[in-house]
Parts: sequence; C-alpha cells; structure tokens
Amino acid sequence: MLKYIVKRIFSLIPVLLGVAFIVFTLLYLTPGDPARIVLGEQATEEALAEFREKEGLNDPFLVQFGNYVWKAVTKGDIGRSYMTRRSVANEIMSAFPSTLKLALSCVIAAVLLGIPIGILSAIRQNTLFDNITRFLAIVGLSMPVFWQGVLLILLFSVKLRWFPASGFDTWATLVLPTLTLACNPLAVITRMTRSSMLEVVRQDYIRTARAKGQTEQIVIWRHALGNALIPIVTVIGLQFGSLLAGAVLTESIFSIPGVGRLMVDAIKMRDYPVVQGGVLFIAVAFSFVNLMVDLLYAWIDPRIRAQYR
Amino acid sequence: MKGKFSSKVAVLAVAAVVLVAMFAVPALAKDTLTVANIYDARSLDPIIQNEVAASNAICHINETLIELTDEGNPVPLLAETFEQLDSTTYKFVLRKGVKFHNGDPFTAADVLYTIERAKSPLGSAIKQYPEIIESAEAPDDHTVVIKIKYPFTPFWGTIAHTSLAIVNKRAVEEKGDMYPLEPVGTGPFFVKEWVKNDRLTLERFEDYWGKKPEYTTLVIRSIPESVNRTIELETGAIDVAFRIPVSDVTRVKEHNDLDVIGGFEHSVTYMGFNCEKEPWSNPKVREAIALALDINGARHAVFRGTGLTPVSIVPPTIKYTDKELPAPKRDLEKAKQLLKEAGVQLPLKAQIWSNSYKPRVDLAQIFQAQLKEVGIEVEAKVLEWGAYLDGLKLGEHDMFILGWVISSVGPDGIFSGIVHSKGGSNYSRFFNEEIDALIDQGKTMPDGPEREALYKKLQQLVGDARPMLYLYNEENFFGVNKNVQNFRPSPRGYHNVTGVTFKE
Repeated sequence: MLKYIVKRIFSLIPVLLGVAFIVFTLLYLTPGDPARIVLGEQATEEALAEFREKEGLNDPFLVQFGNYVWKAVTKGDIGRSYMTRRSVANEIMSAFPSTLKLALSCVIAAVLLGIPIGILSAIRQNTLFDNITRFLAIVGLSMPVFWQGVLLILLFSVKLRWFPASGFDTWATLVLPTLTLACNPLAVITRMTRSSMLEVVRQDYIRTARAKGQTEQIVIWRHALGNALIPIVTVIGLQFGSLLAGAVLTESIFSIPGVGRLMVDAIKMRDYPVVQGGVLFIAVAFSFVNLMVDLLYAWIDPRIRAQYR
Repeated sequence: MKGKFSSKVAVLAVAAVVLVAMFAVPALAKDTLTVANIYDARSLDPIIQNEVAASNAICHINETLIELTDEGNPVPLLAETFEQLDSTTYKFVLRKGVKFHNGDPFTAADVLYTIERAKSPLGSAIKQYPEIIESAEAPDDHTVVIKIKYPFTPFWGTIAHTSLAIVNKRAVEEKGDMYPLEPVGTGPFFVKEWVKNDRLTLERFEDYWGKKPEYTTLVIRSIPESVNRTIELETGAIDVAFRIPVSDVTRVKEHNDLDVIGGFEHSVTYMGFNCEKEPWSNPKVREAIALALDINGARHAVFRGTGLTPVSIVPPTIKYTDKELPAPKRDLEKAKQLLKEAGVQLPLKAQIWSNSYKPRVDLAQIFQAQLKEVGIEVEAKVLEWGAYLDGLKLGEHDMFILGWVISSVGPDGIFSGIVHSKGGSNYSRFFNEEIDALIDQGKTMPDGPEREALYKKLQQLVGDARPMLYLYNEENFFGVNKNVQNFRPSPRGYHNVTGVTFKE
C-alpha cells in the first residue's frame, strides 16, 4: 500500500510540470503588460522598464519557464506576488482556509443529504417521492449560483434576518454560501446514488441476502450500498476537488476571501506568479483528493485492496 | 414505521430552528464603526500599491508629514511647521512626543528611512512620487530638510501622498514578509486583524498624539457586490457603505434609518481620439464628432441624471478649473458640413473602445446610435483591462473611453499624464508644441494668479484642439446609517473616518 502511495506521489511530477507549462504558455500569450497593470496608469517609463527587468519579463519564454521550475524545485520558491510583494505560498495559504471551510461544509451537507435521498429514491423507484427528488435534482443542477445566492440573501438576510449577507468570520456566515454551493454536488450525489443503487439492488446477491432472511435495513445499507459506493465516492471526490479550486461566483456574492477570488483578481491584474502558483496548488489539491478517493476504494472494496498487495 | 420517520423529521426540524437561532446575527456594540468598501487593500505597506483601497486603510494607520485639504492647501500633520526655503528646498519641523504603535518615538530618522525605502526598487509602483526628491537630511532629531531635483510646485501634494506615510524602521525590518499585514504607524488606529478580501479590524491607539476617535474599533470590510453593500447597510451590519450604485440610491434614501451622501472625486472620464490616425488626425473631424454627440443627454441616461458633464479637462473639484468654458452643444448640420469639408468618405467605419465598466459600455452604445445620424458607423468594442491598455499602447484604436483620477491634488498631473506628448497615458497620441511647453512651465511656476492664468489658457487650448471629449464627472454615493455623524466623503477617493461619531 505504501509503495502504491509513493508511486502515486511520484506520478504527480509530470502532471505538475505539464500544468505549469500550460499555464505559463497561456499567460505568456495573454495580452496585457504586467508592468503597466501592476504599476498603474501613472507610472513612469523608467519604473516600467525597471520592473520588467527585475521580474525577468524581458527574458525569452523558455528561460523564464526554466527559471521558474528551477527555483521551485531547488528552493521550493514559487515566486512573489507582483501586487503585494509577498510570497505566493503565503498568499495562497491565507486564502485556502476559507475555501477549505466552504468546500468541507458543502461536501458534508451534500453527502449527508444526498446519499439517503438517493437510496430512498432508488428503493422507491417511480413513486411520487422518486419523481419529486429527480425533479429537484434537475433544479439543483440547473440553478445558476449567482441567482440562487441573491435569492437566499433576499429571503434569509433581508426578510428574515437570520443570517448575514456577506463576510466569513462566524459560523452563521457559512450557512448561506453552503446552501448555495451545496445544491449542485447534492444533486449530483443524489442522482449517482440513485442510479448506482438501482443497478445493485437487481443483483443476485441482494436477492440471496433477502432470501436468507436478512432485515431490509441490513440488505440496503450493508449489502447494496456497500457495493454501490465506488461510483458515489468517485463523484464525491470530483465534487470536493472542484470545490477546492474555489467557487468564484459564490465567493464574490458572499464576499468570501477564498482561492477563487484570489485567482480571479490575480488574472485580472496579470499577477503571473500568483496565477501560476494558484493553478499548481489546485492541481496538487485535486490530485491529493484523487489519491484519497483511490485509497478509499481499497478500503471499501476488498477486491481492489487485494490488487495493491 | 411511518410514524417513527415523521417524528424523526420533526426532531430534525426543531434542531434546525435551534441552530438557526444560535447563529443569528449578534447585535453590534456602539463602539464599533463598520464601513464597507468595494475592494480590499492589496497591501498595507504604503509603498507597495498606488490604489485608493490601500490608501483608504493606510490613512488610518500611518500618517504623512503634512496633508492637503480638499482644496489642495497643505496643513500640518506629523510636521508641526513647514516652509519652502528656496525653489528646491523644503524644511519640516517635526511634532514632538509622537509615538509609533510599537512604542518607538517618532524622529527625523524615520522620515529619512521612509524616503529612502520609497525610492528603493521595492517602491516601483509609487516611484513617480518620491522620484522628485534629490536628498533628505536631518540637521537634528526633529527637523528634516528635503531638496528636490528641480522646482516643482505640486511638491506639497507629493509629500502628502500616502506612499510617503511614515513607517518605523525597526518594525519593517523585524516583520519582514509579514509587514504588509501588520504595519506599524503613528496613526489613530493600529491593525488588530486583517482577513484579506474580507475585513480589516483596527483598534484605537491609546497613545495617539492627536484627537483620539470616539469609538474604539474600526472595521473596514470589502464587499464587491454592490447589492450586498446595500443589503448589509439595510440590515444594520454596516454603518457606511461606499459607492452605492445609482440604481440603489432611491431605495436607500427611502429607508427610515438611512441617508445618502453624494460626492465628487478628482476625476474625469473622456473619449480620446487617436490623433495620429486618419481621419482623426484632422481637427475638423474631431470637431464634427463633438457636434454630432449629445454628451449631456447620454450622461443623463446612463447615470440617471447624477454627476456632471465637464466643460474642462480639469475636474471641478481641482484648483484652477475653468467652469466658464462653453458647454458642448449638438449640431448635426454643422457636423455633417465639417465632415464634408474634411473630405471624409461616408459612411465612415470606426470603433469606440472601452473596458467593461458598465457606464462606459452604455455610453459607447449611445454614441454609436448618435454618430449613425451623421453617417459614421461605429462598433462599440469592449476589452478586458489588460488587453485594452495593450491595444491603446500599440495605437490601433480610433476612439476610446478612459478615465483619469488625480492623486496629488493639482491641475498639472492630468495635463502631463494624458495631454503632454511625453505623457505615459497620452493614448490620444496628441502632440502640440505650445501645449507641451505650457505644461512644463506650469509645473515649476509658483502658485498664484500667473499660474492660474496659465492653466486657464491650457484648458482652453486643449479644449479647442480636442484630443479628447470630456464625458462625465461621476458622482459617488455613500449610504450612511442615520446614527452616524460627521462622515464626509473626500474627493481624493479615500475617506478618513477617524472623526466619525455616533448619535446617542
């Protein structure tokens, strides 16, 4: 198992190099002179030239990329933000806790609600409950967050005054963004649980379990869900991974200081080091979640566990 | 079984209600002032960024030697007295008994360190301010003599700019990378906590040398969504909301607990012509466009009647602005005639560029319709900010909508920035020898009637040459809770709220 984990971590290296190269190339090709945007409209020509020289923006593309990788590998230095002059690692780490908090609360809410609803929907297939659930799942998938966010604010902040409309300091401020952002993963998890369960409940071993007189609860929760979990866990992992990349719209609507806002601000201001560092960070976070998902597979499914030995 | 299920649901529902009640918004104490800005400061280090959001925070934490009144006159701050010894030498006598937030006394050494640091490569974003300084000396602990490179009348504005707010050497060196998060100054507030892009919490500095604020905590929040700023104001979570959108003004005004305060900034938005490109290089064509447009009507439509249509390039809040210049008037017949005289082939195809700021896009679209009436077919092109500046630099544009905010109060900056042939933002690619010479002369001339006459002449000359048409001076609106007193927005674009008090 350990060998497997180490192998997976090493396989990250080409992925990260590839990601870094693509981001670097895209930024290089994007119009907009960072010196002018960072230093502002009123900056002098000398200041602009000095900035470009100091930040290595005059170097050829491959030299710039080489320097970046070299520094990252040898010193663990992924640069300094043009805008704030602080290290990119610091910038990302100050935005990440908010994003993590939001992502975790969304995933927890979506899993706690999505799996039971999906199961109920599957075992009561084609009943009124199932139809309503499926309808709501479509609504949850299709509702644009900026619209839904504003509606929730109008109801819970303006009319009822239960929760604050923005900010991110107390637990109360977490409720509305979670409600907004969890809808989508909730719908996806519900649908996936339902279809995966439907497939499993028709299997012979379920019939066998029922035939040997197991209670319905054990049949569903242990035998059926246990076997249906693999695709559900995959979907949860994917949802969690993309939530970690930051939810730009939700973060803007609720003024949450997360990774999404950091990245968009950095892109607008041509703050190349932050964009590069941010994308790399997201790639690492995503890969990490994937690794966790794979390890979960092994834990859930003894057949997979057997392969790792 | 069914009964069990519904009782579980009931328990869950009760639990949810209890949770909601537990997390409901707590009432804010009266000793806290909460204001909401659009953006957060990028850095609290005065020399890292030249932006109003940073100045808005820094002006409560760090102080400059002097400050300028809204009219542009210098008044003492950390310098008790100041005088100009000769055309390039200035003397400042520092206030005694002033302490930094870390307990260190404020001395001349701090001023020298601040200037030296601002001139270092770290200060490249604000380089244009300290650049003029040749040298700074401290004859004693409480006197600083600054020599500048050449006579420069706007120098008071330079020294009063937040980029030269005095920092403490020991704090800068000790904190290193953390300094921009935990700055140390002599101001009425010190930083308690900064959650970037969310809120900056400042506490009253009890050893402050001047008049201490009446409240103890100042929270500056950043709420980019304008709807949310209004909502938070309505729910009482914030006391002052900066930049209420025009569409929300009536709603806030009608609210029983709220007021709206309007104010102008030192800024102007203009539509420039590419004076190096045919046919815009012909002054007759530029005049024809001016006559074909109903700028005043367009501004009324876009800003719902708020703001002003400028008659001069110098904003009305700035010294020496000439309010007597003729207002633009629409005359389609004359416009057509001028186009004919200029030998322009109609229909003429052209582009108006702008960034995505909504009012600018709206104006470009209105102009599109108006110019069609004289046979000019305009495409309104919206560009992302970085691409926009790049395109303007390359000179591929026909017409473009851009703004200018004056950061050091005085009429010279706008001329040397966007009109002078060597101006860094002269995207009109305009060149006029006489105007260049007058701009250079105005910078070094001592203040007085002669300088006023020069700037009035400049405004007239530039108005007649028309490298650009002036579109609007935007009026900003601030939503204020009625129990907040003494909040006055500043035309500088950042607002010191130290003097704000609460009604009992």
